[in-house]
Amino acid sequence: MDEWKPNPAIKPHKKRSWYLAWKYKLMNQRALRKLCQTGAVLFLLVTVIVNIKLILDTRRAAYEEEEESAQDYDDELLNVEVPRHPVSNKKVLDVEVYSSRSKVYVAVDGTTVLEDEAREQGRGIHVIVLNQATGHVMAKRVFDTYSPHEDEAMVLFLNMVARGRILIFTIKDEGSFHLKDTAKNVLKSLGSQVAPFLSWRDMWTFVGKKGGEVYGEKHAKSPALSTWGDPVLLKTEVHLTSVEDAECHWPDTELNRRRKRFCSKVEGYGSVCSCKDPTPIEFNPDPLKDNKVFDVPVAVIAGNRPNYLYRMLRSLLSAQGVNPQMITVFIDGYYEEPMDVVELFGLSGIQHTPISIKNARVSQHYKASLTATFNLFPDAKFAVVLEEDLDISVDFFSFLSQSIHLLEEDESLYCISAWNDQGYEHTAEDPSLLYRVETMPGLGWVLRKSLYKDELEPKWPTPEKLWDWDMWMRMPEQRKGRECIIPDISRSYHFGIVGLNMNGYFHEAYFKKHKFNTVPNVQLKNVESLRKDAYETEIHRLLGEAEVLDHSKNPCEDSFVPDTEGKVYVMFIRMEQEADFTTWTQLAKCLHIWDLDVRGNHKGLWRLFRKKNHFLVVGVPASPYSSKKPSSVTPIYMEPPAKEEGAVAVPAVAAAEQT
Amino acid sequence: MQKINKNVVLALLSLTSLVFLLFQLYYYKFYLSQKSGAIFSKVRGSQSGQDNTRWHVVKKFLGLISSHNIPVYLIDPLILGLVDKDIEQIRSSLDGPSPECKYFCAPRDFTTFALLDKTWKHEVGLFRTAEKMGFQWLKIINKDPRLDGMDDLSGVEIPLHYIFKLASHAIHLVVFYERSGNYLWHGPLRLKQHMDRKFVPFRKLRFGHYPGAYEKPELQLVSIDDLNVRIPKNPYSFLEEMSQSRFLECREFNIAYSAFQLYPDDASLDVVDFRKKAKSLLHLAVLTLNNLGVKFWLSSGTCLGWYRQCNVIPHSKDVDLGVFIKDYKADIIPAFQKAGLPLKHKFGMYIFVFQVEDSLELSFQGEDGVKLDIFFFYEEDDHIWNGGTQAKSGRKFKYLFPKFTLCWTEFVELKVHVPCETLQYVEANYGPDWKVPVKTWDWKSSPSNVQYNGVWPVDEWDDVIQIY
Repeated sequence: MDEWKPNPAIKPHKKRSWYLAWKYKLMNQRALRKLCQTGAVLFLLVTVIVNIKLILDTRRAAYEEEEESAQDYDDELLNVEVPRHPVSNKKVLDVEVYSSRSKVYVAVDGTTVLEDEAREQGRGIHVIVLNQATGHVMAKRVFDTYSPHEDEAMVLFLNMVARGRILIFTIKDEGSFHLKDTAKNVLKSLGSQVAPFLSWRDMWTFVGKKGGEVYGEKHAKSPALSTWGDPVLLKTEVHLTSVEDAECHWPDTELNRRRKRFCSKVEGYGSVCSCKDPTPIEFNPDPLKDNKVFDVPVAVIAGNRPNYLYRMLRSLLSAQGVNPQMITVFIDGYYEEPMDVVELFGLSGIQHTPISIKNARVSQHYKASLTATFNLFPDAKFAVVLEEDLDISVDFFSFLSQSIHLLEEDESLYCISAWNDQGYEHTAEDPSLLYRVETMPGLGWVLRKSLYKDELEPKWPTPEKLWDWDMWMRMPEQRKGRECIIPDISRSYHFGIVGLNMNGYFHEAYFKKHKFNTVPNVQLKNVESLRKDAYETEIHRLLGEAEVLDHSKNPCEDSFVPDTEGKVYVMFIRMEQEADFTTWTQLAKCLHIWDLDVRGNHKGLWRLFRKKNHFLVVGVPASPYSSKKPSSVTPIYMEPPAKEEGAVAVPAVAAAEQT
Repeated sequence: MQKINKNVVLALLSLTSLVFLLFQLYYYKFYLSQKSGAIFSKVRGSQSGQDNTRWHVVKKFLGLISSHNIPVYLIDPLILGLVDKDIEQIRSSLDGPSPECKYFCAPRDFTTFALLDKTWKHEVGLFRTAEKMGFQWLKIINKDPRLDGMDDLSGVEIPLHYIFKLASHAIHLVVFYERSGNYLWHGPLRLKQHMDRKFVPFRKLRFGHYPGAYEKPELQLVSIDDLNVRIPKNPYSFLEEMSQSRFLECREFNIAYSAFQLYPDDASLDVVDFRKKAKSLLHLAVLTLNNLGVKFWLSSGTCLGWYRQCNVIPHSKDVDLGVFIKDYKADIIPAFQKAGLPLKHKFGMYIFVFQVEDSLELSFQGEDGVKLDIFFFYEEDDHIWNGGTQAKSGRKFKYLFPKFTLCWTEFVELKVHVPCETLQYVEANYGPDWKVPVKTWDWKSSPSNVQYNGVWPVDEWDDVIQIY
């Protein structure tokens, strides 16, 4: 080291002295002291190394742990948080309302909340309800007050809206023709100056607070019958109130929390949001003894008719023996309001992306709903299928509980339905009586899982086939000769007026006068006689005791059936083969029962009531019961009226609705 | 001079070590004390109040859920493992006070309980009470797999896990759902972005790494450490089941789904009919094999159908199952015959006095012409294979697969096994083009993993090729 020194460095020199010192120490100091010192030095060095290692290890372990714990359990999907609009503390809303012949729109703070410029649609008075504290749209309705009765619906709606809400009105095209004085007075009471004088083809906009101030009104009179008033645009400001003022002060319970959430979002449900005395949203009907359908899932098929759904769920949850946990509401589309209704009642709801169009869409929605139902309740052997426009009888579940074992045991059964197609006010009498019919009525029915899984689901009509699911289910390829059990008096009531194949006229003609059971706990009679063979025995017994009516009279006349009560009568009509329903259709027409297609038959036999007597109709010679016809009787033949072009088309389309 | 040097050296070294000692103290104080559960308790041993804390938290939790009438049961693997050792003793002494806290005080971060979804109503009240009792809780929700097959039903989210934390202990409540196929399912635990990743040491959870499938357990009420809890009647078999409970969702595979979209499903009548037959044959086969206790999985075309379209492939003609040769039982053939499925042919051999087992394959004739094939798989060091034999020529074929493990899945309303590494399995068998439906398939040449494996000696034909 010494020889190799280009620089006059101090270091090597110093090192040398260190070394010398050690050397000196080693040679001259006492061994013990030396040992102690080296020991200490070594120990310290080891401590240092161990410490460094420990720190590095723990560090790494901890780091890995953190990394992994996060990695393993991270959701792969990045939840992109939608940036929320900053809550504006603005107390004033700018409202713009436009009314004209072909277009209406409403904008709140620059956001369009209503825009309708479609042709041939949206005629009448458009109403929007805003929350007075938040400015959110709570309800949107259009009442075609050009047509009759729509003004009544509007009055009903306006009366249901809570005090303090902001109401916006605008007319598209025409809104005065059937706007009666009652409705005009309601509008007047809201503060409208113009409403009492609204006339043919006037344009009108109005913004006001229910039970409070008026924010603005504009009107344009129609100069002549053939022309419309000039478009009007109303721009005004609305002052918002505080949230506390806009809410009711119900006691803080789980139920009221649901109520509060609901009532701050939507309007038009009446007393459920009343501050003083709100209508209950929990019903606790009496439980059923020995309820055989307690564990049967209930699928409610719904679209975007939240008011219907509300009414339907109320009646369903009030039925004895209902089990809310088994109910699932399937909503066809991403509609918020139906979901709000479902949540109000604390039920579970599932939204369904709409695929396909019209009838096929309904059909696909049905399929998805049924599949989902059996997936969610894998133990279930059956499912109850309901629609949103049905009232449910108080003894609906009692009726099913008494009859469901038949569906399990009798292979010749296709379904149990709560609906009797021919059960009108004047043709149904006995709540304890059941029938077997070859048609599938739907409208509240029970489906067997094995039927669905093994037969229906695999070949359910695909979206491109624009078929009605119920029509498809009625086809012989699916039904395979099996029958449904129905009650004489229906356990459901079809109240829907707005629907895919539905309108007011059609509803009035075919559904309004349908009989609906309101008696609780009806004990069904002879449930066992509904089995395949037992039912034949029963029919033969009935025919045996039945009195043959006078076939020379006109069966459409009231006098055809004697003025008795509780007797059994039989009549024979001509029916050449199984599919010959010529006479039956005419008879159904004059009896004012379902005549759009054939319903309620069992082997060429129909059972109904007339003047409180059981009334049997046998098709001869196609029916096997023809043998019961006395030889002296000639079966009645009724000729169909000469077809009028065009007149037939309406019922043909309408027939699809009755499901 | 020398003395100074020496003192300097010593002082320097002492200083360094002192610094390190200080650093160590600091480190323990600020890092380890935060992680109170794990390392700290190990370091300090069990003299602290930690043990009691665990017992108290469990007791509080049990009080909470019983006040809301929620029937939970214990599935904690650590405690069940301890319980299993003393099971007889525990069963016999239901009410006697226990002398020491043996089970619920065992060191751990979590106690895991299970809850059957359908037995409670999702009341919000539970969480309010929990908060009042001092629990912090976390709810993990995710998509409902029961609706996943139906892409058009919007993602309804269901609660899969709850975690209740109190002091240094946490309760992990796993929600089990009943699914088609008569089994219970629990979901994976995945944290959403906004969730607190440090709420508990998630990595230590024993459930939630993967979804799992279980049989419906039989339960019994026992008293452990003076706490009444329900536990699986046979903790040992539950733990066994747990170790092999990983579940795969066929819809999980996006690829599988897109394949389904690309080649729309055939829904003609004969397809519907074939699927129905295949389904009932599979149901029968699963019942028979489960009764025998033979472990099997979906193989070949049936596995491809599951993976590709979550259904039976329309134009296949049989149902294929795989069984490891070590699970072979002589009862298989009579059991199937008893179930109404006669043996159609048997290829290969199992135990032949002086020869090794080779290329075993059983075929059973189902109703209406659908065939059930059971292939036996042989494990080698780096691969697994099964064999095939052509009846008329006696030629042997070998199908090679990479090694795989088994997972549960649901197929046509059955809980069955599939290889966890499904993609590799399917690709080995069908090549990279497995997505494209093929109507004609030759089992001797089409598979991409086939190897010619020689010819059976003619004198053995009678044994190795049996056709009925």
